[in-house]
Amino acid sequence: MLQHTLQHLFDEPSCATNRAKDPKARKQGCGGKPLTPGNAAGGCAFDGAKIVLQPITDAAHLVHGPIACEGNSWDSRHSLSSGPMLYRTGFTTDLSELDVIYGGEKKLYKAIKEIVARYDPPAVFVYQTCVTAMIGDDIAKVCAAATERLHKPVIPVIAPGFVGKKNFGTKLAGEVLLEYVIGTEEPDVTTPTDINLLGEYNVSGDLWNVTPLFKRLGIRLLAAITGDARYHDVTKAHRARVNMMVCSQALINVARKMEERWGIPWFEGSFYGVPETSKSLRTIAKMLVDRGADVSLLKRTEALIAREEARVAEVLAPILPALKGKKALLYSGGVKSWSMIAALQWAGMQVIGTSVRKATDDDKRRASALLGDSGTLWESLPQREMYAKLKAGEADILLSGGRTQYVALKAKTPWMDSNQERHTAYAGYDGTIAFLKGIHKALTNPIWAQVRTPPPWEE
Amino acid sequence: MPQSADRILDHASLFNEPEYLELFARKHALENRVPPDKVQEQLDYTKSWEYREKNLARESLCINPAKACQPLGAMFATVGFAKTLAFNHGSQGCTAYFRSHLARHFKEPCAAVSTSMTEDAAVFGGMQNLIDGLSNAYTVYKPDMIVVSTTCIAEVIGDDLSAFIANAREKGSVPMDFPVAQAHTPSFVGSHINGYDAVIKGVFTYLWEGKTREPNERINIIPGFDGFAVGNNRELKRILNAFDIGYDIISDVSDQFDTPTDGTYRMFDGGTPLDTVRGAINAKATVSMQKYCTEKAGAFVAEKGQQYASFHYPLGLGATDEFLMKISDLTGKPIPDSLEKERGRLVDAMADSSAWLHGKSYSIFGDPDFVLGMTRFVMEMGGEPVHCLATNGNSEWAAEMKALLATSPYGARAQVWAGKDLWAMRSLLATEPSDYVIGSTYGKIFERDLGIPLIRLTFPIFDRHHHHRFPVWGYEGAIRVLVTILDKILDDLDRKTIKTGISFDMVR
Repeated sequence: MLQHTLQHLFDEPSCATNRAKDPKARKQGCGGKPLTPGNAAGGCAFDGAKIVLQPITDAAHLVHGPIACEGNSWDSRHSLSSGPMLYRTGFTTDLSELDVIYGGEKKLYKAIKEIVARYDPPAVFVYQTCVTAMIGDDIAKVCAAATERLHKPVIPVIAPGFVGKKNFGTKLAGEVLLEYVIGTEEPDVTTPTDINLLGEYNVSGDLWNVTPLFKRLGIRLLAAITGDARYHDVTKAHRARVNMMVCSQALINVARKMEERWGIPWFEGSFYGVPETSKSLRTIAKMLVDRGADVSLLKRTEALIAREEARVAEVLAPILPALKGKKALLYSGGVKSWSMIAALQWAGMQVIGTSVRKATDDDKRRASALLGDSGTLWESLPQREMYAKLKAGEADILLSGGRTQYVALKAKTPWMDSNQERHTAYAGYDGTIAFLKGIHKALTNPIWAQVRTPPPWEE
Repeated sequence: MPQSADRILDHASLFNEPEYLELFARKHALENRVPPDKVQEQLDYTKSWEYREKNLARESLCINPAKACQPLGAMFATVGFAKTLAFNHGSQGCTAYFRSHLARHFKEPCAAVSTSMTEDAAVFGGMQNLIDGLSNAYTVYKPDMIVVSTTCIAEVIGDDLSAFIANAREKGSVPMDFPVAQAHTPSFVGSHINGYDAVIKGVFTYLWEGKTREPNERINIIPGFDGFAVGNNRELKRILNAFDIGYDIISDVSDQFDTPTDGTYRMFDGGTPLDTVRGAINAKATVSMQKYCTEKAGAFVAEKGQQYASFHYPLGLGATDEFLMKISDLTGKPIPDSLEKERGRLVDAMADSSAWLHGKSYSIFGDPDFVLGMTRFVMEMGGEPVHCLATNGNSEWAAEMKALLATSPYGARAQVWAGKDLWAMRSLLATEPSDYVIGSTYGKIFERDLGIPLIRLTFPIFDRHHHHRFPVWGYEGAIRVLVTILDKILDDLDRKTIKTGISFDMVR
């Protein structure tokens, strides 16, 4: 079954990267270059699947495998919930040596049963891991049996780490949503302004900077897939009028298939920075109107944008002079590789380069257009090279995730977290304010003067 | 009843039981006490600007002082000399207070004797008490030196210490050549830091009597009154050993306040050997770690011809740099590579945590040198001092504080409060709050009344244990200070996010 799903995903027609490959390369996997043994690597497919599904906050997420997979990662992503907290509890079957020898299916069933008895969640997601895949536990069977006996959706997530990178796991999780979740229930009412956000995980509350804007425009967010999501909301997502894809590559299969199955048009957009936020709101409004929403939505959207843009400019006026002309190195991926460029340029900053890992051709094109001649696109930027660039003073600040934080600091360069482990929401207009204020703070911290000067006795 | 043999509740939980709560309510009604809303109204008033102005205008009343009296400092300085007995001339109650004050902080026994003056001694003079006291103390405790300090009562009646001690020698209380140093330490002048100063000067004066200085290359270090002395003095030695220079710590309490539990009671442990102190006159220079703790002792060594340098409880990066450069400068030895590496580690730690520390505001209280040192480090970390208060700070200190604050944009908001007490601090914090308070255990009242978390980083720390065992000086000490502050900030953040669970994160 896994092989089938994999091949099917490698053929994803909406994915420009895949389309560009010859059939042989397509079989090897997707999401950029295949892994190189011996290189420092990012997360695995299992990790990716969890990123996508775990923000379904009222579901239980049970990891079937030895302790490593869940033990090292539970509750370490800042995908926030406004209600249920069950998703933050780490459930795992914690397989032992004997389980590996005799098989872990019974243990898995017991674990599911116990979760249902104790927590009564609306659904249980069961994640396969490398070890349980290799010993041949039939997780799909166990889940099917559990669904029947416990009268509860128990959903197998077949994305063991060895099938590929994190990004591939996100797509596998998308398939899981399409196969088991989306379209399994009907909403009580539908409106002409129902939308979904795909690939928005409410990292540090990003989503909550955007939902008030929707509310003010009378747009109903049917489901965020999957930020601050409830299981039963996701099941009804197929009745939306428009899908906005926030993280371009992760759930592209979901967007395309939702269009195929339910005729929901979709677009790619971002809520990072003022220009992109405004553009996304405009696009949503236009697409909704195209599908029959009241035409006044367009006008109201413009009014909201004008008001918000003026407010952001006013709030940020005191710090913008200090940001002007500062050079940033962006080490991110996917949609952030370009959307953050626009956010920084809006503030008068210069982006010397951006990494385009996990980015689609379209992402790269946009990034390249925004950068012009003044910046570079990196398919990959090994830590050693990044260090050299920062050390040479090519950038005033690095924006990246926690894994490269310390590279910047060793190179005496300020750093700010722009990935999922950050603690502040950067999306929307309020997020832009927080984002630029954060950069300003990082740039002006007094430690940098110390970091960059030798001990006083060496002067 | 909530209390039963099967289920014994401790004091922290017992009185929260419904039976007791009901009992308190009845007692409240029975005693016809002020109703809670009236109390609350008054409490709210004490947090207003109007009350603040009245509070700051207060002249004759000190409420919750952040200082102790001279003999406490005298005792602290005394026990830093080897086998030296602190001998307090005056009423015994004072001595008992000093002993418990120090014991509560260091969690160590603290031996000291008193001449236990009574009413007749107060009327007729305390000479006989001093004669008998020296005799008993010498016989019972067999010290190598006794340092006589005074309490108010002896000072008020004008007891002449020099004459009394000479008489005691003649009467055979102690041998003629037995070292007895002295210091006048009345409570009604200055604070514990002056008592410390007086004893250091008194011991120098006595042990250097009649000596001619023959300069050598050694350096004397006077740590000053310091609640972190156990960790700090050892760290100081580690740093100076790395320099490979000749140095002597004058009054080293690090062993006296950290004796092992191995079945032996050590009335005296460690301390600066008396011969070392005798030889200290020949040192090239004396370095004081706390300027306001050694004003007189510093002037005294300068008079003898030594170079004298002083610091303000050097905390953090810049202050440690300056201290090391001074040592290097005085001795001609380069700063060791090992210390340079430690410096790099501190810079690394500060940079790693900078995002969490940046822009946090602090109010800082304590001894003058501590407040100067702490304020400086806070600003290095991107923190903003709001109120800097030293009950025993004078106008010179206030001027130095203001000059320090002017060196950094982070000091722009700060206000300096010399001579103000902690009740004044309460008003200041109620009207112009900061995110955190840095000070001693007594800062707990701000946590209770105003909800401002307290970071315990100076003497006395009574309600937490063992902090004094770890250094706060040097680069490694600075990392410890940084961690202490950061732990509080992040604990506070956890506490604030527990209720919603949002941002109650495993990774910070």
